[in-house]
Amino acid sequence: MSQRITIDPITRLEGHGKIEIFLDDEGNVENTYFQIPELRGFERFCVGRPVEEMPLLTNRICGVCPEAHHMAGAKAADAVYGIDPPRTAKMLRELLYSAFYCTDHTTHFYALAGPDFVMGPDAPVAERNILGVIHKVGLEIGGKVIQMRKYGHAVVEIIGGRKVHPCTSIPGGLTKGITKEQQKEILEMGKWAVDFAQFSLKLFNDIVLGNKTYLDLIVGDIYTHKTYYMGLVDENNHVNFYDGKVRVVNPDGNEYVKYAPSEYTQHIAEHVEPWTYLKFPYLKNVGWKGFVDGKDSGVYIATPLSRLNAADGMATPLAQEHFEKMYETLGGKPVHQRLATHWARLIELLYAAERWVELASDPEITSDNFHTKPTQTPTEGVGIVEAPRGTLTHHYWTDERGVVTKVNLIVGTTNNYAPMSMSINKAASSLIKKGTVVNEGLLNMVEMAFRAYDPCFGCATHSLPGQMPLEVTLRSSDGEIMDVFKQFIA
Amino acid sequence: MKTLIIGLGNPILGDDSIGWVVAEEVRKKVLDKEIEVDTAALGGISLMERLIGYDHVILIDAIETGQFPVGTVNSFPIENLANPMAGHSASTHDTTLMTALQVGRQLQAHLPTTVMVVAVETQITYEFSEDLSPEAAKAAAAAVRQVLDLLAGLPGSTAASSADMTNRTSNLL
Repeated sequence: MSQRITIDPITRLEGHGKIEIFLDDEGNVENTYFQIPELRGFERFCVGRPVEEMPLLTNRICGVCPEAHHMAGAKAADAVYGIDPPRTAKMLRELLYSAFYCTDHTTHFYALAGPDFVMGPDAPVAERNILGVIHKVGLEIGGKVIQMRKYGHAVVEIIGGRKVHPCTSIPGGLTKGITKEQQKEILEMGKWAVDFAQFSLKLFNDIVLGNKTYLDLIVGDIYTHKTYYMGLVDENNHVNFYDGKVRVVNPDGNEYVKYAPSEYTQHIAEHVEPWTYLKFPYLKNVGWKGFVDGKDSGVYIATPLSRLNAADGMATPLAQEHFEKMYETLGGKPVHQRLATHWARLIELLYAAERWVELASDPEITSDNFHTKPTQTPTEGVGIVEAPRGTLTHHYWTDERGVVTKVNLIVGTTNNYAPMSMSINKAASSLIKKGTVVNEGLLNMVEMAFRAYDPCFGCATHSLPGQMPLEVTLRSSDGEIMDVFKQFIA
Repeated sequence: MKTLIIGLGNPILGDDSIGWVVAEEVRKKVLDKEIEVDTAALGGISLMERLIGYDHVILIDAIETGQFPVGTVNSFPIENLANPMAGHSASTHDTTLMTALQVGRQLQAHLPTTVMVVAVETQITYEFSEDLSPEAAKAAAAAVRQVLDLLAGLPGSTAASSADMTNRTSNLL
């Protein structure tokens, strides 16, 4: 008797944001489908608005990473006017962005990924959260996490004009600079962030790498895929979140292509499947070969792990040490084990903190040369940054007045749609076999497959309840409900 | 006693913006300097952080329970909301406000003793728009009244009316 298992994060929205696992008559996994909710109509919403509004509008797409949209929007608007903003403007934006990265990566590790490792994948769900982590590792940890977030928000507010949804980046730079007093304050917070990042890596080392079960889970086959890897790099091929070229390496770790943001349409195409609204980006010149690994398949990932795989190293010294240690421990580049993304994310946290200190120490950061006035007739422009959860592309077209006529966005999570689907399929196929009793721990192991990618469904969680209960329904082939597992549902 | 009223939601996502619309109306009617009115697109830990330093908080948001007609306004203490996400999938990138409040309280943060929710029943939308549906737009006035009633019922309030909470907190979620 064939069965259907549905992991439905948003139970009231049929067809949106859920995982369906189909079992064959033998009780093995036949296929999996991962559906992500997609907000619609954004292009239409933007048409007719002045392009300088785009960095403000796009950061309302979702509440999870507005800073990333603000930056990509500002860079695309720069490009529309053909402006290269002054050095101070670029540094201020990158400084804000580095502080934001520290906040974002910290939240993911301590609130989302951490519980799986600190509490264990099989721990009762009521304990597998940030409260559980605090109970187990100590109240001090919670205080540090909140402090890190507070500092990150503070820098976003000082440079970006307000917390969380910054508003100061405009075509050509920023609307304001910072004072020497603010520079000093930002620098002190950055130094604290470097210590915090090192503390987090030590915690990861002690709790995860020091535990053979977890290390086996990371290096095991369940969470491994050999695909292409994408990331933004600077002129030295080091990881950069704010600027540079997009570099893609193949599954052997060799450079496949490196392109400027304006060239993205030559390299990225999107595949459509009938069972989901969201498209699957892939490498155009390799081609779509389905949800498969390997050099002949155009599937790529864009995550912390892929950024490290796509780069030759980190631009800051402490992060570089950890970069080397990770590849040494996991057997060289590239690393294909998806759970190593959590390690890569912490290395990025350290890089972001170090970069924060570097930028805040630069004497030019307080210069009042933070804006170049647009003079060219606006036309078309592309802005790319690395959002915490993947390469983020904004592409705008305007008329000669700078009024938007067309918009195209490829958001971080979208890049990873195909590989996430593959990871869920592989985890489910490996863990659910004939006779397996499907329980909460096992479903969490499947969920861990996509949690590593830090996907963003923020758009789906704005309204209260604002929660994503998971419900798994086992159905017989005639659709009769055989059993219902409720995870996280009161 | 410091009070914060905060309208939640995405201001460009149709009915999801109802919290903002109601908060802006409330702002015009509240003159007490101890009462702050704000709008935000926040949840979970970020929202908890925003609530630090206040004694009373009223959240205004869209809600989809499926139990009431669209446009129904209900108010209740936040504890009346189920907190299914004791786990960490509340959002894929956050935890619930209630779990976040527990974290904050454990860390001795000054968090409000009461968090009330004024919720407008809507259907979750996936279409960007600055317009409210007719049902939600019609509900805004009732939501404003409920916020003002709640304010009047707070300890130390000098407002004339005091809301009878019994009916509003029953039969919810």
